[in-house]
Amino acid sequence: MRKQTRWMAYISIVAMLVGSWQPVQAQPVTYRIDPVHSFIIFRVKHLNTGFAYGRFNSFSGTIVVDEKNPANSSIELEIDANSIDTGNGQRDDHLRSPDFFNTRQFPKITFKSTRVRKINDTTVEVQGDLTMRGVTRSITARVTYTGKGRNQRGQEIIGFETTFTIRRSQFNINYGLNGGLADEVRVTFAVEGIRQ
Amino acid sequence: MSVILESALTAGLAALAAGVFWLLGWRLRRAYALLSALGVSVGFAVLYWRVQGRPDFPPIDATQWVFWHALFALPLGWLAGIAPAYRWVWVWGALLGVLWLFVPPFRPLMESGFWSLTTGVAYIVGLALATWLLVTLTAPLGEERGLATPFLIALLGGVSAGVLFYGAKSASLAQLSGTLGAVVGMGVPLAFLRGFTIGRGAVALAMLLFMSLWTTALGFAQLTLGQLVVLYLLALTPALRLLPAMQRLSPAVRFALPLAIVLVVGGAAVGMTYSAYMAQSGDTYSY
Repeated sequence: MRKQTRWMAYISIVAMLVGSWQPVQAQPVTYRIDPVHSFIIFRVKHLNTGFAYGRFNSFSGTIVVDEKNPANSSIELEIDANSIDTGNGQRDDHLRSPDFFNTRQFPKITFKSTRVRKINDTTVEVQGDLTMRGVTRSITARVTYTGKGRNQRGQEIIGFETTFTIRRSQFNINYGLNGGLADEVRVTFAVEGIRQ
Repeated sequence: MSVILESALTAGLAALAAGVFWLLGWRLRRAYALLSALGVSVGFAVLYWRVQGRPDFPPIDATQWVFWHALFALPLGWLAGIAPAYRWVWVWGALLGVLWLFVPPFRPLMESGFWSLTTGVAYIVGLALATWLLVTLTAPLGEERGLATPFLIALLGGVSAGVLFYGAKSASLAQLSGTLGAVVGMGVPLAFLRGFTIGRGAVALAMLLFMSLWTTALGFAQLTLGQLVVLYLLALTPALRLLPAMQRLSPAVRFALPLAIVLVVGGAAVGMTYSAYMAQSGDTYSY
């Protein structure tokens, strides 16, 4: 009887040790991008004069955050190119046409990270493949952590923001480059993710 | 450089390129079958390159096939030029050639699910047959002396640009179409040279490229089938001049009748498309 009790005590200690060890081994956490509280906006210079702004209203994706080892973090994003919105229906139709996004052939814009490097406690450098109009190019962006909290449903949420510039000509979007619209497009991606 | 000046320069360069080949052909009659088509081919290639930049091969973006059509259809243009001697080679060559040309641009629409396989095949076969008919019926216009043929085709380019701009909502396709009209329009001043004709090859290739642009606008932009049919019928209009009944009329009437049809029907088509475009949004978007 005493021998059995001693064994049970050993097992309990081992179980406690294993149980207490697990939270220390922080697992990568997956967040689903919350499209309601996330924004993809862009700006491009029109006729070398003023900036035109627009956004994509429909997108989805996931962010994997590994706080212990940021290199294991990743992001995948899929944007519905037809959801482009510049506040003018005629301009949006034009942007969907073969002059720009050719959305009938290329209805999706995607981004998939290939490398994440920690810069400091709140910033990482994300490198990844952006595919737009059938062309894939590697881009690099500095992503800033903007906060963590809980939403009204008690779910854990996390926020990031990044701004980077792409050259649309690299994605075969060449129309109007000769003075109509600038080649450089500045993109801002402000994201809120809900823990899965 | 302003957008308007840039567009004018593009049109001028493309038309000039075509004109050089046609002038060469005018002097070298034995090579005219090829040079006639080469004028449109090179003129359109110059135009496309300046408007859309360098295309890929094979194109990732299916709308770039328009550029390659200008080059790959060159043998068809040449075949149109020698058609009187090899009539059946031309007719069958044009049919098979056009069918072959129309498959690659529209396959991606079936792959992306925009068209079902059945719809896609029906469109490809239907559009290719319509193009073949247009090309074979209008090619003989290239042998007509005078400015009527290049003028009517140039006018068609203008109408087409208007419909593509407001109907398909694609400025680039509109510009390509309008400037293709300007390329053929180069034949108007050259028509004053003694014995000059733009040639069967030029007309055949120009018509094929118009169809390529319109079908691209149907598949990838917002051109409706109804608008395409109107443009198609307008493209057939110059061929009315070849009807035996028309041949008996005076040259002025033979020119005025198709001109009136293109102006009235084409003008109405542009006007209706413009009205529909303006009714879409209260705020005017001027590109």
